[in-house]
Amino acid sequence: MSGVVLNKIVKKYGALQVVHGIDLKIDPKEFVVLVGPSGCGKSTTLRMIAGLESITAGTLAVDDRVMNKVAPKDRDVAMVFQNYALYPHLNVADNIAFGLKIRKVPKAEIRQSVQEVAEILGLTDYLARRPSDLSGGQRQRVAMGRAIVRHPKVFLFDEPLSNLDAKLRTQMRAEIKRLHKRLGVTSIYVTHDQVEAMTLADRIVVMNEGRIEQIGTPMELFNNPANRFVAGFIGSPPMNQLHGFLEADDAGPVAQIGRLKVRLPKSEVLENQNGKPVVLGIRPEHVTVDEVPGSFPIRINLDLVETLGSEALLHTDLDGMTFVARVETLGEISHLSGVDTLHVKPDLLKLFDAETGRSLSVDARTGT
Amino acid sequence: MNWNLYSRGDKFFAIVVSILIGMFTVATLYPFIYIAALSFSSGFAAQAGKVVLTPIDATLEAYGYILKDPQFWVSYRNTFIYTIGGTVMSLAFIIPGAYALSRPQLKGRRFFNLFIAFTMWFNAGLIPFFLNMRDLNLLDSMFGIILAFAVNAFNVILLRNFFEAIPKSFEEAARMDGANDFQVLWKVFVPLSKPAIATITLFCIVSRWNGFFWAMVLLQSEDKIPLQVFLRHTISNLSDDDEFAIVQTAAGFSAETVTAAIIVCSIIPVLIVYPFIQKYFEKGILLGGVKE
Ligand SMILES: Nc1ncnc2c1ncn2[C@@H]1O[C@H](COP(=O)(O)OP(=O)(O)O)[C@@H](O)[C@H]1O
Ligand SMILES: [Mg+2]
Repeated sequence: MSGVVLNKIVKKYGALQVVHGIDLKIDPKEFVVLVGPSGCGKSTTLRMIAGLESITAGTLAVDDRVMNKVAPKDRDVAMVFQNYALYPHLNVADNIAFGLKIRKVPKAEIRQSVQEVAEILGLTDYLARRPSDLSGGQRQRVAMGRAIVRHPKVFLFDEPLSNLDAKLRTQMRAEIKRLHKRLGVTSIYVTHDQVEAMTLADRIVVMNEGRIEQIGTPMELFNNPANRFVAGFIGSPPMNQLHGFLEADDAGPVAQIGRLKVRLPKSEVLENQNGKPVVLGIRPEHVTVDEVPGSFPIRINLDLVETLGSEALLHTDLDGMTFVARVETLGEISHLSGVDTLHVKPDLLKLFDAETGRSLSVDARTGT
Repeated sequence: MNWNLYSRGDKFFAIVVSILIGMFTVATLYPFIYIAALSFSSGFAAQAGKVVLTPIDATLEAYGYILKDPQFWVSYRNTFIYTIGGTVMSLAFIIPGAYALSRPQLKGRRFFNLFIAFTMWFNAGLIPFFLNMRDLNLLDSMFGIILAFAVNAFNVILLRNFFEAIPKSFEEAARMDGANDFQVLWKVFVPLSKPAIATITLFCIVSRWNGFFWAMVLLQSEDKIPLQVFLRHTISNLSDDDEFAIVQTAAGFSAETVTAAIIVCSIIPVLIVYPFIQKYFEKGILLGGVKE
């Protein structure tokens, strides 16, 4: 099977550098998602893998073969485009068959392949229709059919679901995941939507401004974000980031966040760093309304309650800083309106260096 | 249409517009009607200026006269050759040319685009062009006519703009599917550009069908001239031919009615073809305006 290796890949448009040396090793059969804000270079990276953009520097290898100068058609990769790019003048069957016809595959074989793919994707009844007569989800399926019919080594997806409405997006997301399980083809998927990334990926690559911020499984990124960017990008709503500085008392280091003191575990990293600016990260999910064993209280001013159903988002003010909590409602929100104290589970706190934004990789413990 | 939904101003506007359109229609249609009426009238009536709207002393003599002339049929055939051959030749140049000019990867694209557009405003002029054709040995040559006017900058630019407006992902998808440049062009761009290509085809057909000036300048042999040149020969022959004036009076036609009959004959094929491409024609005229 086919792995993909990016080695110090750089992309420049004239003097403008948009991808700054990306290193990434994708294992055979892996589903990797490139995620990041719009304009961070995800599509450019994907298109360099496809061969639609030239690679300014670095090497790209598929199956240990260097692909930098190989034409897109000879790379044996298939791509699903954001706008599907279905040929409007061809019906569904011919759209799926297009690549095979170009490659002069025998007619009988084409017919059989198209039939198979149509069955996998539930398109059998639509083969004679034009793309204009299909719904968004069906078009999306045809676009995928066109990719899988060729049995490529690698699938590339560039925001394939962003033109669909929310409900269909969820449904197609699950379908893509199922399809990947079934076909086991190495896949690289680009999205700006962290939920899509979390749900689909074996591994997520978080990108920002043409650089990789962190690579890891969805849970690794969620539990141990390497820096403030990743902490703010992964998770919804994002991690609360509270500015403060380091202090120490007899019992060891503490983070002073406004009037709040949060006890930190003893660690070499934190020694003799009094006054160092830090950012304390608290996930909205790790906050409760009621006290739980080991939690410490924080006093807040409630600003707004957003109801999601089984959960609610509390938008609050903590010493002038915004603080969001995601709490259970138990089907009832009246008790939330008077909340002035929240409880934080200390074992899941994160600490970041405020200057570099990097994680100080110590978990804070108790607060006072 | 429900008139009650319109304000007084709107009604007034609609009425004025209808009147203007009506006047325009009459102004466009009348010459056709007049020529047709003339062609079916007697020579006396025509000369006396009696024909206004309908044939006077209806007769087919003028048609009888030209249809018996072998030169009429030769030039009719030639016009078909120039029209079909010229249109095919034009498309063979314009489609690949417009495609190349629309591709960002073309080296020197700006230069070539400017180069083509330049010819829309400036040309070498009559005599240098004539000398050029002479030196290329293309004088009095049917192939020369077909080749020399194959590429028209306006058509190239029209189609180039259309190609440029096709989303990039179509080309990219086709490339990922394994298509080379020719396949991208013929299997994706051409089918996607049917309206634009139909428009250009129509432009080519019309300009070839009506092509007169250069055919007159470049062609000497009677067996090569198109219908328009034949028409011109006929007009000048008939009008200063005294002998003909005597014959015509007896036979019931005149220079005017014969000319009109030739014009009617030359319009018929266009009238037959037009309804089939009219829908593209309307779209195509819009095309030029929508982009940029
Ligand atoms: N052809 C191009 N010429 C110049 N700059 C480009 C070109 N394509 C993309 N860019 C720039 O490169 C950056 C990354 O773009 P892209 O990879 O499309 O971002 P993403 O897919 O992550 O939203 C953007 O700032 C964009 O403006
Ligand atoms: Mg993108």
